[in-house]
Amino acid sequence: MQDTHPLVDAGASDPNFLRGDITVWSWNIAAKSLAKLVPEFNRRYPHVRVNVEMTGADMQTRFLLSLSAGVGGPDISQLQMAETPKYIATGRMTDLTPVAAKYERMFPASLWRNCVHNGKVYAIPWDMGPCAVYYKSEMFHRYGVDPNRIETWDDYIAAGRVILRKSGGRTKMLPLSNRFLAPMYEILLQQNGGRIFDEQGRIALDSPQGNQVLGVLKRLLESGICSNVAVWSHEFLAGLKSDTIATYPIAVWFGGTIKDTVQEFPGQQTAWRVFPLPALEGGGLRTSNLGGSTLVIPDSCRQKQAAWAFIEYALCTVEGQIAQYKSFDLFPAFLPALEDPYFDQPDPFFGGQKVGRLFAADVARIPPLNRTSDWMEATRYLEQALTTWATSGMNTTGFLANLERKLHRRVGRPIATAAVTDAGGP
Amino acid sequence: MRKTLRIRRRVVRSALYLMLGAFAVVFLFPFYWLTVSAFKSQGEIFQIPPQWVPQSLRWDNFIAIYRETHLVRAFFNSAVIAVGHVTLALFLCSLAGYAFAKYPRAPGAGKLFAFVLGTMMIPGAVTLIPTFVILTRLGLTNSYWAMIVPGAASAFGIFWMRQYIAAHVPGDLLLAARIDGCGEFGIYWRVVLPIARPALAALGIMLLIGSWNNLMWAFIVLRTKDMQTLPLVIYLLQGETRTPFGMLMAGGLLATLPLVIGFLLFQRQFITGITAGAVKA
Amino acid sequence: MSRTTNGTVWRDIRRHGHFYLFISPFFLLFAALGLYPLIFSFYLSFVKWDGLTEQTWMGLGNFAAMLDDEILWTSLWNTLVIGLLYVPLMMVLAFVFALALNLSWLRGRSFFRAAFFLPCVTPMVVIAIVFGLLYSSENGLLNYLIVRIGRWLPFPWLRPIPWLNSEAWSKVSVALLVGWRWTGYNMVLMLAGLQGISREYYEAAEVDGAGALQRIRHLTLPLMRPTFLFCGILSLLGTVYMFDEVFVLTRGGPGTSSSNFGLYLFETSFNDFRFGYASCVAYVVAFFVFLITLAVSRFNRTNLE
Repeated sequence: MQDTHPLVDAGASDPNFLRGDITVWSWNIAAKSLAKLVPEFNRRYPHVRVNVEMTGADMQTRFLLSLSAGVGGPDISQLQMAETPKYIATGRMTDLTPVAAKYERMFPASLWRNCVHNGKVYAIPWDMGPCAVYYKSEMFHRYGVDPNRIETWDDYIAAGRVILRKSGGRTKMLPLSNRFLAPMYEILLQQNGGRIFDEQGRIALDSPQGNQVLGVLKRLLESGICSNVAVWSHEFLAGLKSDTIATYPIAVWFGGTIKDTVQEFPGQQTAWRVFPLPALEGGGLRTSNLGGSTLVIPDSCRQKQAAWAFIEYALCTVEGQIAQYKSFDLFPAFLPALEDPYFDQPDPFFGGQKVGRLFAADVARIPPLNRTSDWMEATRYLEQALTTWATSGMNTTGFLANLERKLHRRVGRPIATAAVTDAGGP
Repeated sequence: MRKTLRIRRRVVRSALYLMLGAFAVVFLFPFYWLTVSAFKSQGEIFQIPPQWVPQSLRWDNFIAIYRETHLVRAFFNSAVIAVGHVTLALFLCSLAGYAFAKYPRAPGAGKLFAFVLGTMMIPGAVTLIPTFVILTRLGLTNSYWAMIVPGAASAFGIFWMRQYIAAHVPGDLLLAARIDGCGEFGIYWRVVLPIARPALAALGIMLLIGSWNNLMWAFIVLRTKDMQTLPLVIYLLQGETRTPFGMLMAGGLLATLPLVIGFLLFQRQFITGITAGAVKA
Repeated sequence: MSRTTNGTVWRDIRRHGHFYLFISPFFLLFAALGLYPLIFSFYLSFVKWDGLTEQTWMGLGNFAAMLDDEILWTSLWNTLVIGLLYVPLMMVLAFVFALALNLSWLRGRSFFRAAFFLPCVTPMVVIAIVFGLLYSSENGLLNYLIVRIGRWLPFPWLRPIPWLNSEAWSKVSVALLVGWRWTGYNMVLMLAGLQGISREYYEAAEVDGAGALQRIRHLTLPLMRPTFLFCGILSLLGTVYMFDEVFVLTRGGPGTSSSNFGLYLFETSFNDFRFGYASCVAYVVAFFVFLITLAVSRFNRTNLE
């Protein structure tokens, strides 16, 4: 009953002969963006019907349950980038290597890493979230801070201190809640090649890179320039229009929210610009990645060839990727798409800055992170540990080592440092 | 003297009625809101100040839910599953309950019964995963069986039936039936069951309500649209960005109505059924 | 004629034969879907398994991990808070209603009983969605009423409440919903308990000159203790394991602030697919709940003497 044939590289075969009726599970604007692609897709493959379902509640739970039951799942499913390894590890995703291996070089290594397992490809990167700093240029001008001088996080912190002082304590440099430190940790970690799991899947938190990241976090929090508001909270969004927050170091997908929100909230319009993410040290990497999604074909899909045709169009062609960027701001993961002149267009909202090109810079240089199937759990524990750490003195000595031991007990993976002495575990 | 007493009594009584009435309104209000909202459009549902009484009775929501969702199929599924589950459970529990009640000297009977009773101490939450795994291995997920069979062999059910049968079926009656040449199963079917009808009704209603309203298990085992039950369909109508509340209310009303009507008609049996375990303890 | 006592050996065997025959359908199913899952679940407590790939032996690893699991403790804490929020109030209300409905002169008893009991009968998913509408911060009926009342009365601090968006209030919202649902149920149980108290006690007390309130305090309450205890245990189990209310109304949110243990167990089992760990947690918590139940029952028994 199932299509057990491995995927064949369509190459020379006639697209007119490919038939299928595929269902795609996706959420939110990602789903809308896929739906918008369907007419163009059908121009190439006229006999493949695509049905994009915005399945709403609990999509991921129901997807997993379907995998378990072997019935009721979609032909294509969206997955969060960071969760992809977990799903791949279930062994229920179609092996895409025969048709997708050739695209490896066309995606940033850091994204591709999440899609492979044991040398085979099971998912394709869809979009990504390169990071930079959105800032209020007027405010910087007023307080005499030159964004071009900010190259490292320490420069950033110094600038933040200046702004804090000159505004009489009113303006904080960035929103960073000590209850949600994990995303920032993840951003910083990718800038210096740090890891949570090493290439063999062992726990590798406690490293020089990890400690460097922790140090930056500590300096950020201790300098008093952080506004303790949770992401997406009311204050967080209100900060876009008030003078309480000066910058937002975050991924590119936040730009859309800025543009929408400044209409909504009362207050003065302010001029926005972007500068590249500060590096951890002079000359270091000035970008990172947060978020993004992938697409997979569950093994239970009976129309793998048709499903692959759609994925290939949406994710592995410049046309498909640019269309999604233009319509819904989904930042392409496909490197050839980033070379499109569209990225050099000045953005009037940001004062004519070529924001696309800024975000696209250096994405290929982001070091790959081995997320493993335990990533979500690990980050959950990391976040809790960081919260406790931030609210009880920020003692960095042994913090990462302790967390390693805790994770070891929790997920059962060995720790990468030599001579693991365990107090009580298996 | 007497007059003040009477006045005082009247005041107290009025106050009591007032209090009960007020609470009754509060308790019934969500049902009212459900009904009324089913006839409103999305905008009207969210209107401030709220429309206490709908300006007009729109049937749009009901039409929409009939056309755009598979609610009718879900009704059917829920009904099949409920009837199947209740029938199976009543049969198993009454048959075994009768056996335990009227064959007390069978070797091991006491111990077996105590054992079953003992398992009542362990909450069902513990068995969710293994049951799911078993069903998956047997390929029975996404089927009526997955909803009908688990829980049919209810420890409480057997306790309930045994206790009632032991108390209400006189040994002489069984004796007479045997003398008349009635087979053992015939005794169960023709003598015991009719007597046990109230207990069966109470237990049956309890199981019926549980099955009809079940969301969690349905969510776990039912995977395709054609197998979904009512609560599941209603739950899944909640979309990510835009929830069609009008349709949701209409569907909810339709899902609730059978139970409400049943309850109003058979109030006493409902109450006995749902509080069955408790009252005796 | 007493065949039962002087029956032949043959008839005895045959009689016993039917016993086993009659209990076998039940026991077959019970063994497969009742007993085996209990044992399998116990076994799973010692492994790490996602249901799809292979099992890894963890020994006592899962048990140790429970200590570190902050989300578990949060959910247990939430369960406690939610319970404290609604159980006492609900018990009092149910008792008052039961007393009222027990009054001989009360009219409309059927109506009131139906009104309070109806919430127990209906599908929770529907009710939770309706409550969700009522709780809506912007357009909800409750906040509308609050604002309206705030204008009449001199309470300047009466502001709209973030029922579902605040970590504290989400618990209240769940508590109100659950309380609303189960008050009628407890009322009926208490009513049955009240009706079980012999009239003679009351008559004796009245002869002794005890007023209505005194009768309640010294007579009814002590005699109702078993019923109260029973209601209490049911409420405990209910609060710990309830699912629909939390799942549909708040999904445990915002964050994990209104997630009770039932939801936690569901998410760990079928969201994270951590079958081994979830089984372990389920057993441990069940064990502790059992201990609490035992302790409270024992307390009741000794006090009653």
